[in-house]
Amino acid sequence: MDQPTAAQRSRLQHSLALLVPALLFGFLVAAQWQTQRERSQLAVRYNAPLTDAAQALQKEQSSLKAQLADLRAQLDTLQSSTSTQSGAAKELQAQIDQLKTRAGLTAVAGDGVVIQLDDAKASSAAAKDLDKSICHATDLTDIVNTAWKGGATAIAVNDQRIVGTSSVYCVGSTIMVNGTLMSPPFNVNAIGPQNQLLGAFDDPGQLRDIKQRRDVQGLGFRVVRASAIHAPAYDGPLTVRYATPR
Amino acid sequence: MRGSGGIVVSFIALLLGVLTVSQFRSQDVYSRSLQLETPASLTTLVAGLAEKNDSLRDEILDLRLRLESARSSIASGTGSLDESERQVAQLKVFAAQGAVRGPGITVTVDGSFDERALSDLMNELRNAGAEAISINDRRIGPRSYFGAAQPGALAVDGVALSGPWAVRAVGSADVLYVAITRTGGIVAQFELIYQRTRFVVRKESVLDLPAMR
Repeated sequence: MDQPTAAQRSRLQHSLALLVPALLFGFLVAAQWQTQRERSQLAVRYNAPLTDAAQALQKEQSSLKAQLADLRAQLDTLQSSTSTQSGAAKELQAQIDQLKTRAGLTAVAGDGVVIQLDDAKASSAAAKDLDKSICHATDLTDIVNTAWKGGATAIAVNDQRIVGTSSVYCVGSTIMVNGTLMSPPFNVNAIGPQNQLLGAFDDPGQLRDIKQRRDVQGLGFRVVRASAIHAPAYDGPLTVRYATPR
Repeated sequence: MRGSGGIVVSFIALLLGVLTVSQFRSQDVYSRSLQLETPASLTTLVAGLAEKNDSLRDEILDLRLRLESARSSIASGTGSLDESERQVAQLKVFAAQGAVRGPGITVTVDGSFDERALSDLMNELRNAGAEAISINDRRIGPRSYFGAAQPGALAVDGVALSGPWAVRAVGSADVLYVAITRTGGIVAQFELIYQRTRFVVRKESVLDLPAMR
């Protein structure tokens, strides 16, 4: 009567065994609920209108770029039609054409390599490595730098041509190239001598950080030989407001 | 009794698994969805997009005027040489093919530094609207690349440049200065990483940059 029976002991052990998962469960539910609640307070008030604004501006940007491309084409037609008339005009036109090619204002197609960069698949990444398992703006600048080093003549990141004023910008976890919103996966088309380009990317001294994260965290990174790839013409502004030729 | 306890434990284990996974998933989506950015990040994004669209609108307006004046000069028989010359001047700046003058900033880096940081600094300056950049009197072009060199030097387009490095950027001096020196900005980050290196940022009213070699 006074001694606990075997059945009672076993029941005690059972409830203890259940205590830990029950606590964990409760903690997770609470954590989930808490983040949901925090999110909604701020998010409901500001995020919806801000997201709408960002999307509307991105849409507007596409239409402005189309208008710009159309005006540039009209000016080109006008100039090439008059350049047949005089020697001076012809010379200037040749200079314009050459500068445009150098600056990345003409579409290019040719052989080269395609570099694919993507976030690691969630299942292969531990939570503490989240930062290492997603792609960052600096990964893209490192890849672009390696491609120029490897002799690329034209580079485009998800169809945004890389020119002298191009930048890769990161806000929160959203990436912008040439002021255009982008998200992974990234396809970097690098037109140029294939063997030299592959050699630059294979160089163990290059992109050490990306290669290590590919091997450890499962970051998506692949360089493949590709033929007849495209790099569209740069379609952004050629703002020259402060610099004057001298 | 024993049997029902087993069922409860497996049920809880299952739930735990589901929750862990959904937590993971939501984190993954969180990192990539515009809807889930913080209001502060979204505000910065919106400002960036609006600024970009403004510069596109400016350029559209400018091109319309140029197109009109080119048309009228062709109609009057003078041809479109003025427009062509203007375009050559603009493209020369844009392609780093001509020497330029203008206001901007100088960033002096004295101490240990590396090529990735240098490339990040270029990216930051371009992002802040730099129209022309040079490093130690070597002009940076659209295809410039950065590499390692012997200690105390960095390679730009395959040519070793010894430190200290003077990075000159032509553009709005105020905008460039604020972008580079702001709290948590690139110079602040450099100062944490390269603690023995001295970074000095100065506004300049006139900078002279050479053409690309």
